[in-house]
Amino acid sequence: MADTPSQILIKDVWNENPVFRQVLGICSALAVTNLLTNTLFMCLGVIFTLIMSNLTISILRNYIPKRIRMIVQVMIIASYVMMVDIVIKAVSPDIHRFIGPYVGLIITNCIIMGRAEAFASQNRPMLAVVDGLASGIGYSLILIAIALVREPLGFGTIMGYTLPAKELWWHQWTIMVMPPGAFFMLGIITWFARNRLERSEEGVK
Amino acid sequence: MNKQSPAYIIFFILALSTFFGLAISIVNYSTVDLLKKNEEMHRNRVIAQVFSLSVSGTSADAYREAVTGQIDELTITWNGRQFPYLKNRENDDTGIFFRGTGFWDAITGIMVLSPDLQTIKNIKFLDQKETPGLGARIEEEAFTDSFMGLQIDWQNQPDKRIIIGPSPDPNAVNRVDAITGATQTSIALMDMLNRDLDIFRRAYKGEE
Repeated sequence: MADTPSQILIKDVWNENPVFRQVLGICSALAVTNLLTNTLFMCLGVIFTLIMSNLTISILRNYIPKRIRMIVQVMIIASYVMMVDIVIKAVSPDIHRFIGPYVGLIITNCIIMGRAEAFASQNRPMLAVVDGLASGIGYSLILIAIALVREPLGFGTIMGYTLPAKELWWHQWTIMVMPPGAFFMLGIITWFARNRLERSEEGVK
Repeated sequence: MNKQSPAYIIFFILALSTFFGLAISIVNYSTVDLLKKNEEMHRNRVIAQVFSLSVSGTSADAYREAVTGQIDELTITWNGRQFPYLKNRENDDTGIFFRGTGFWDAITGIMVLSPDLQTIKNIKFLDQKETPGLGARIEEEAFTDSFMGLQIDWQNQPDKRIIIGPSPDPNAVNRVDAITGATQTSIALMDMLNRDLDIFRRAYKGEE
């Protein structure tokens, strides 16, 4: 029996979280999480692309020829990413100057292609939209958690606002600005989340 | 209709391409004016900042007014090449555009010189994609302010007229500190500034 929307939500956000459970979308998790504002824009872009590509592929699922389904999925995803790129550039050019190169890489984000192939191409549009939203939220929560640690430690700021400690005694950690800082944070968060998940699974048994 | 037939596949791809091509075109077309306005505002804002112009507000119109009211955009043609530059009507300060490859991508900016091309008054960046927190700190005022009042050592060899980073004389009047952790960006910036300064000076003075 197919999952209900609430089951999909819980599964994609926590039990089968795309980042710490399926280890997908790691490239952008490393690249954009040193500033929270950049992370939020990236997350919004991924959520929008996930929802729209899932919706489109689900609507077209009975019409897409099996032999070319991957090409079609990439074409649909790439089109939405181009729209996201244009909109960010128009709405917030300063942010686009920083995350522009990574926005284009949303096309290759494995989560989007994975959800299109594994879920949207086999389910009704409404469920596909919920799945896209839930996967996007699951991805965003982890990225935001990483950014919430990296930006204060690396820059002494949060969303660009200087924290009082920076002026007084804090010395910035350069490693938190660089990709290795993201590796450490991702490792710690994955360890913590999996530990919690395994405990809750053992509790169910 | 057989979904696996070549005719269906071609029709399907064509229909999908047309639909999404149109959708992207509509999004692009509807933001063209905004993109152009953003680009112009950013350029004017950088020019206003680098020349320390007085601007009445933070709108695109305010920046445009400040720039058009106080700055002349000129061009020198030298050896068949064109060199655009800026001139402050009030004090004759000269703004030159520089461009080069940084650690990741192109870096472009404007450097303002005194009328005799001897002193750097200010420097600002139009575009850069260096590592946030490291190379990207070239945009921070702490770094750009260190160029204010810097003397260009025209007698030195062309690639050492401005020094960013270590030098035999740490107190040299043509030297600023590099950015810690961004050695490659600092070196690239020093190279492009020296190269573009040399070319501009020769073009400005009409030298061979």
